[in-house]
Amino acid sequence: MGDQIDCALDLMRRLPPQNTEDNLSQLVDLVPGLQDELLNAIDQPLKVAKCKIANKDYLMSTFNRDGDSFRSPWSNEYDPPINDGIFPSQKIRKLEVSANEAFDTYREMYYEGGTSSVYFWDNDQEQELIQSKLQSGFSGAVLFKKVGDGSRRMKGAWDSIHVFKANERGRNAHYKLTSTVMLYTITSKPELGNMNLSGSMTRQFEADYPIDDPSAHIANIGRMVEDIELKMRNLLQEVYFGKTKDIVNDLRSIKSLVESQKQADIQKELLGKLMERKS
Amino acid sequence: MEELRDLSTEEKLKIVTNFLLSSPPGEADEVFNDVRVLMADDPALQTGILDALREYNTEQYITVKLPGQENQVLVSKFGQIENDLYLDPKSHQAFRFDHMNRRATEVEPRPPVEETEPLRTAVEAAITNYVEDHFKDGVSSVYSTENGTITIAIVDNKYNSSNFWNGRWRSTWVVNPESGKLKGNIKVNVHYYEDGNVQLDSNKDIEVETSTTAENPAAAAAAYVRLIGKAENEYQTAVNESYIELSENTFKSLRRSLPLTRQKLDWDKILNYKIGQELSFTKIAEPGPTSNK
Repeated sequence: MGDQIDCALDLMRRLPPQNTEDNLSQLVDLVPGLQDELLNAIDQPLKVAKCKIANKDYLMSTFNRDGDSFRSPWSNEYDPPINDGIFPSQKIRKLEVSANEAFDTYREMYYEGGTSSVYFWDNDQEQELIQSKLQSGFSGAVLFKKVGDGSRRMKGAWDSIHVFKANERGRNAHYKLTSTVMLYTITSKPELGNMNLSGSMTRQFEADYPIDDPSAHIANIGRMVEDIELKMRNLLQEVYFGKTKDIVNDLRSIKSLVESQKQADIQKELLGKLMERKS
Repeated sequence: MEELRDLSTEEKLKIVTNFLLSSPPGEADEVFNDVRVLMADDPALQTGILDALREYNTEQYITVKLPGQENQVLVSKFGQIENDLYLDPKSHQAFRFDHMNRRATEVEPRPPVEETEPLRTAVEAAITNYVEDHFKDGVSSVYSTENGTITIAIVDNKYNSSNFWNGRWRSTWVVNPESGKLKGNIKVNVHYYEDGNVQLDSNKDIEVETSTTAENPAAAAAAYVRLIGKAENEYQTAVNESYIELSENTFKSLRRSLPLTRQKLDWDKILNYKIGQELSFTKIAEPGPTSNK
């Protein structure tokens, strides 16, 4: 089974990121025993739902799901409603509300549209009956989705998923962050045909920051998310997309290779003569 | 969650076939190894996967060296004589291709179609020069195909899995010597997977036309190849321009690199502002009996 999960993950790193959802569902059909592990390990593009109570969009993910229902971060209600849904503790929910507001501002500044959602959960939810036990921290997911408007015949979508675990240690907190960005672009034009350039990447980051008051968590997580999103965005644009462009021009050369070779030979000859004269 | 049932062997093979056909350039072996472990049914896979491998190899213009020969030969459906017997039109030979191990055997002479051979040879010579001039590792084949047409297949592979990237350029051109029409298709696939999975999947259909008649094979061949070279250059230029637009416009419209203020967010301010906002709302709400709460 260990072998199988390695192969499944290797396969997902090779199959086109354009079809992550289909590939993943087929993979689960093929090896049903890996379902939980795969759904945990592989991020999928996020889906948008509307919170009927707050009249505001939110993102559906494994982080706010209970059975077939999803919890809105704006109203804290499940849709469709369920009786025994999982909720964060009161303390964590309060923090979640502030985080959603803060990241909503962040979303507007960086995405100028799109949807954001933040979900928090207590680290020791399974032990929540043990009231005397001090909370040692919490975990959460910060999610963004932006779908391009399709202007200039280019369609695109950005999904980012930041999952963190915060452990409080006295006046400090240790944060472990795993961030995934999924980018999808398709351009269709007469002179170009169809060009689909898509991909996903994941990075991890760990750090300690002070927590003078509970809201410091939000600023700490905010700065981490902001830094890593900037890094990943630039990596995707400069390194990943740039690299695929170089490879295209490596496969075929617009300029005549014979001419380029001739010119290189002439230069070499000239340089040789120059060296002769100098010596 | 719905109950998951075990699939039949046939259903499993269908999924595995799909995965294999989606293999990035140069990674079919890795994908095959993965699906082999995942399917965990070697006998069924061995017999059931052959059609998928045949489709993959011929669609992707997989290249092979004929035994005892140095140059690469391309495997495509245009050269398919019967099931696993393929034509190398350049050397007038047929060979058997083992789709599982990608090896050629049983090479035997195969005389060309006499009527179209002068034109085919002329196109072959012109295309060979063109491919050498624009593709560092290009391999091409020029076939006599149905109804007097000539089909050109070009492939260039660059595999560099130690640096986590692989790429493939494929072009196909069907020439109708009678009408002077050329129908082309270009496909480019690139995979870059260092700590990620980024893929380019790009394709275009092209139609061009020449008034040069096929009476003089060399002149006709030169005219065809001039058109092909121009169309492929234009296509590649369009791809390069699209990359620039992606980076200048698409990226920015999805997520800015920095906010309009050109500064990162002041998180303390955001939080204070929000808290301040809440406080001021409470204040406003308190005295007025007309407010909601």
